[in-house]
Amino acid sequence: MMLTQADPINKKLRVSGGLISLGLLVQALSLLWNHPLSFIAFVSVGALLVAGGIGLYLFTLVNIPAVRPQDSLGDKAKGQTQQI
Amino acid sequence: MPMFLILAVLVITIILAALVTLRPSLTLARGGKILAFLAFFIFPVFAGLLGLENHMERAKQTSFCLTCHIMGQYGQSLYVDDASYIPAAHFQNGRIPRDQACYTCHTDYSIFGGFKSKFRGLHHIYAQYVTGPQQPVKLYHPYNNRECLHCHEGSRSFEQGAIHTVDPQTMADIKSNKLSCMTSGCHDTIHNVKQLEHVKYWKPVQ
Repeated sequence: MMLTQADPINKKLRVSGGLISLGLLVQALSLLWNHPLSFIAFVSVGALLVAGGIGLYLFTLVNIPAVRPQDSLGDKAKGQTQQI
Repeated sequence: MPMFLILAVLVITIILAALVTLRPSLTLARGGKILAFLAFFIFPVFAGLLGLENHMERAKQTSFCLTCHIMGQYGQSLYVDDASYIPAAHFQNGRIPRDQACYTCHTDYSIFGGFKSKFRGLHHIYAQYVTGPQQPVKLYHPYNNRECLHCHEGSRSFEQGAIHTVDPQTMADIKSNKLSCMTSGCHDTIHNVKQLEHVKYWKPVQ
């Protein structure tokens, strides 16, 4: 099985999206809970997960290998695609 | 902002983030890249800020402060039927908003006062769940006249009060916090929770 350039990026996107979704879910639940600990849950769990997800996403964005014009034809031929 | 709108923003953001998570191939197209940027960066930050603002506002509610068992007696003291109880007189006569009674008097009316209050609130949580609250409950610092003067400064009853104007130095000392408003013999009956079993209570008309 050939490993394409998109695979690790897809994996990072999935992890990033998972962290963000989970963090937002925690944040939403914390808003429904009227208790002083809900703020702790919002910040220390929800915000931390979201921040982690955003950080991973931005890290993935800046670490995409640059595609030079002369490579792009060859990449297409190999089935490699660039994402994000 | 109403809670349902904040929750709607959160749910929409979760759906968008889940969509990109389940179908990362969407990001191959230009529109998909923009969607990913919105779902993974712009919307989560926006939703988080809305949630934070909601939590900050909610923490000002009297009912929120009273969720801690140790604060129960302080909430009860707001209903004492005795005008010499300063918090009760303020609460019952609408001098402070009843739904934000604790916050109105116990926040710092200074720059970043709201954030300082929030940090004190976090310390309350630490004390409640880790170290255990001190008995009896005490303020971290002596009560600052600034919090009283935030409303009372400039008012006729304060500026022309007989005791306040007994000599110019008294007024100057009150305003510079050298002479506490709660000095013995002045406004010195505050929550007085030790006496709550021996007082009458005001019953608000429903």
